[in-house]
Amino acid sequence: MPLLLPRMKSLFYHRSAGVESLISITNKHISLQDVMFELEDNSAGALSIFIGNVRNQGRSGNVSEIYYEAYSEMAEQKMREIENEAQTKWGIKKLVAFHRIGNIKVGETSIIIGVSSEHRHEAFEACKYIINNVKTRVPIWKKEISEESQKWANGILLE
Amino acid sequence: MKSDIPDNDRIKVRLFAILREMVGEREITITVPTGITVKRLNNEILKKYPQLKSFSNKFVTSVNCKVTAGDAIITSKDEIALLPPVSGG
Repeated sequence: MPLLLPRMKSLFYHRSAGVESLISITNKHISLQDVMFELEDNSAGALSIFIGNVRNQGRSGNVSEIYYEAYSEMAEQKMREIENEAQTKWGIKKLVAFHRIGNIKVGETSIIIGVSSEHRHEAFEACKYIINNVKTRVPIWKKEISEESQKWANGILLE
Repeated sequence: MKSDIPDNDRIKVRLFAILREMVGEREITITVPTGITVKRLNNEILKKYPQLKSFSNKFVTSVNCKVTAGDAIITSKDEIALLPPVSGG
């Protein structure tokens, strides 16, 4: 039987205004299991999770993979801003947000947002708010890659 | 004695995504008169890298990780980046 080492919660939690958060822009694989583990909290009755996967169709046709690029320092700051807004609006307990960058193949996960709160309404709403705002306010870019072409996705100009 | 030659700043500018590819560099350095605005810096960048002209209304400029208006004055200590439309998630 393999020796199972006890898992340690991340040391990189950020605590402000009553919310604990773990935000990471990483070139490593991201997993739901890790997000669930980090969200564990006996005072939270609700967890809401959004998972974004790379799909095989894009604006330019078939896609085999997507290349993601980030301005990581600014992206993390913007994600913290969004987190604070979600905390003010819904009083969430924990937020874990992982965005993978680099080349990601069809079927693999590019982003996971996990939110915990006392009750479901807050968790649902905050999770939706966070992913919608990550897509429009955080400096991350994607290039759709197929066998025939490579094309940067049309996006939204930051304000 | 004050020199008649204006002081210059060497401003480093980070480029991302399609802009990085168009220029072929992650970071460029532009020498400009001290006290230049974001708008003038952008004009200097477009002069030096004319391949970006067709993108001139398709990027914003961030100063120290904040999108900044054209009349803001920048220095060589600021971190400047040109950001095309975002598409994360």
